[in-house]
Amino acid sequence: MLRLENISKSFPGVKALDEVSLEFRAGEVHAVCGENGAGKSTLMNIITGNYQPDQGRLVWNGEETTIPNVQHAQRLGISIVYQERSLVDSLSVAENIYPINKPRYRWGIINYSALYQNTQQLLDQLQLTEFSPRTPVSLLSSAQKQMVEIAKALATGPKLLILDEPTASITERETRLLFDIIHLLKEEGVAIIYISHRMAEIKEIADRVSVLKDGRFQGTVEAKDTSIDTIIRMMVGRDMIHKAYASDVGEEVVLSVQNLSGRGFRNVSFQLHKGEILGFAGLMGAGRTEVAKAVFGANPVTEGEVVVQKEAVQINHPSQAIGLGIAYVPEDRKQSGLFLDKTIAENIASARLQEVFYEEETTVSTARQLQQQLGIRTPSVKNKVIKLSGGNQQKVVLGKWLNTRPDILIVDEPTHGVDVGAKSEIYDILKKITAEGKSIIVISSELPELLTLADRIAVMHEGRLVRILNKDEASEELIIQIASGQTP
Amino acid sequence: MEQLEPRVSVKKSTAGTTGTGHSLMAERLQDRVFTLGVTTLLLCIGMSVVFPDQFPRVENLSQLLLNLSVDTIVAVGMMVLMIAGMFDLSVGSVVAFSGGMAGYLMYYHNTNFLLAILAGLVGAVLVGVINGWLIAKARINPMIQTLAMMGIVRGFALMLSGAGIQNFPYEFIYIGQSKLLGLQAPIWYMLATVLLFSFLVNRTTFFRKYYFIGGNEKAAELSGINVQKMKIWAFVISATLAGIAGILLASRLGAALSTSGRGLELRVITAVILGGASLSGGYGKIWGAFLGALFMAIVNNALIIGRVSGYWQEVILGVILIAAVGIDQWLIRRSERVKG
Repeated sequence: MLRLENISKSFPGVKALDEVSLEFRAGEVHAVCGENGAGKSTLMNIITGNYQPDQGRLVWNGEETTIPNVQHAQRLGISIVYQERSLVDSLSVAENIYPINKPRYRWGIINYSALYQNTQQLLDQLQLTEFSPRTPVSLLSSAQKQMVEIAKALATGPKLLILDEPTASITERETRLLFDIIHLLKEEGVAIIYISHRMAEIKEIADRVSVLKDGRFQGTVEAKDTSIDTIIRMMVGRDMIHKAYASDVGEEVVLSVQNLSGRGFRNVSFQLHKGEILGFAGLMGAGRTEVAKAVFGANPVTEGEVVVQKEAVQINHPSQAIGLGIAYVPEDRKQSGLFLDKTIAENIASARLQEVFYEEETTVSTARQLQQQLGIRTPSVKNKVIKLSGGNQQKVVLGKWLNTRPDILIVDEPTHGVDVGAKSEIYDILKKITAEGKSIIVISSELPELLTLADRIAVMHEGRLVRILNKDEASEELIIQIASGQTP
Repeated sequence: MEQLEPRVSVKKSTAGTTGTGHSLMAERLQDRVFTLGVTTLLLCIGMSVVFPDQFPRVENLSQLLLNLSVDTIVAVGMMVLMIAGMFDLSVGSVVAFSGGMAGYLMYYHNTNFLLAILAGLVGAVLVGVINGWLIAKARINPMIQTLAMMGIVRGFALMLSGAGIQNFPYEFIYIGQSKLLGLQAPIWYMLATVLLFSFLVNRTTFFRKYYFIGGNEKAAELSGINVQKMKIWAFVISATLAGIAGILLASRLGAALSTSGRGLELRVITAVILGGASLSGGYGKIWGAFLGALFMAIVNNALIIGRVSGYWQEVILGVILIAAVGIDQWLIRRSERVKG
């Protein structure tokens, strides 16, 4: 139905897709696998018309075509269920399911009775009986919202349906229902692209599996003839900057977290030693960021204890955490790490506004020092951060937090959207910090990164810390197995 | 005419060959205190040439400054709020309320003038606390909260001063009607407020935090800034300055009127935006608030001297506001194109 030939797509500093060729057939469930950053979402964005490929051809039903925008993709019959929500909370279920193609009378007057009837049919088909077409979406649970997303995609009568992590937020019962519907759609000749991290699901529902790794196509295999281990092996084992770092782990425990619970995680315990880099691995939504934010005082803690330098503390606000020598580099640097419209110097000063007077000169000279130390490439620290590359921006965020002179540094996805060169520089910086006797928690979705940096790796699955692996026993395969809930 | 000035110099600077010269000029052109200062200066020179007998006279200029002193004091508080990405529509009502409260106590209860002033200011602070608390903690939208407060406080001001209160004690009148070095007292209060807040905003970390809150609230919170607390303080500061302005106005007029400060909030927001603030926050300088109010006062003065119908004043100010913000956007897009 849809064939991709030699598709390439680059972003500044990153080659997101490199000569990828794939074929999706009618009546087939085709799983696409790969680690975070392997290029899955870029590929889906090309299929749905969000991005244009730099190179390569798209062949739709035997004819070469381009998909210039989302509307065009919809007209072809390509429909996607996003991981992120696309629903408007304030409107009813029916209006959300038919955002543009509502049944109409003449002159564009909406035929509400037909709208509600069509929606009811869809809901019946999906066996969603707990709410009606008139229910406002704001009243639904996140699992119900996910099902409405699926209904919304089905309402367009798709010929090619893309499901991006459809089961991430729904329960077992709903997953069964979803699979029944997928089988039904298959019989009707719909092509389905299924993206998931859950290997067991892929094995169950998919006919064929394609694997991407670092933007490159690794091959397509028949699901029934291939073991989960083989698929995982195809996903990992990339060529990476492999650096061996010496460990600086000391005896002293600087941070101890005991039975901590909060929004998105339960009963998490771990210890961080002086000079140690503790890695946190897990799938998206496993609760790693939530734990970090709770320790930092940005999210509330419902239960449990945090001990910093042998003293039990209650951290209710980031300002207290900073006072205790904890720093947190958030995962989304543009949204929550940086002040993009402000200068590098101002950004570096932003977590150090504890003194009474603000000295412009001190701010600038501190920023210059950190610029040198971290290798931030810019003609002047008075330039706005928005003009820097991703790697340099990330160094500014690191500088901002090093400026608070922390003993414990939590970094969340430190090299997300950063090119390879800057990546290796950031690794060096982090290692240098531990050599000075400071401790680091690294949250990362890139396993080679964790394996390179971390002395130990904590693996989380659905809000629980399942296991802490020592460096010598950790491997990508083992981490993926634990993170996807198949404890060996 | 004057508003076209920046555009002309941009063309000149692109013709220049040195790269650094261009970027410095572009930077200057994006600094509203600079562009507005130059524009105001040119406007003054133009007025002095065209109306040499009316405009550049001490009486005219000191009257002009006197008229804008109340607006400017309120504008300083509004600038702080807008740097943090918020605004306050209730300031005009607070001006009437604090004056009305002081007047009411002095006239009907013979309260000592200092106590009466204090009561007026406490009332203003209270309005600020309520605004700030409901916006920061209960997360009511600032527009809705202060719009509602504008009506509520105006109602109280009406109850207090009714058709207007007069016959204040001499000490109270003295505050707003005395002179120093030939200039009326409110002008000095205005300059003191501008200088004090300019220093505070430039040099203290407390006020510096508002730039970060306005720039990226989420990142500010994660940087250890207590955003909720800072927001409450911003509304308290703005309401307190409006309260001071209200006392000053009542003292200067020798009367507390329930209609005082009607429409002042929009005039002040206009001045602050002309002075370089952005509705989304993160930008602005205290001197910009002063220059914005000054510029508006001079334009009004020019129209009066030039015998232009009063109806045109609002039209012309509206056009100037759109032009100022429009040119700014155009400059930003242009500099992005150059960089990209």
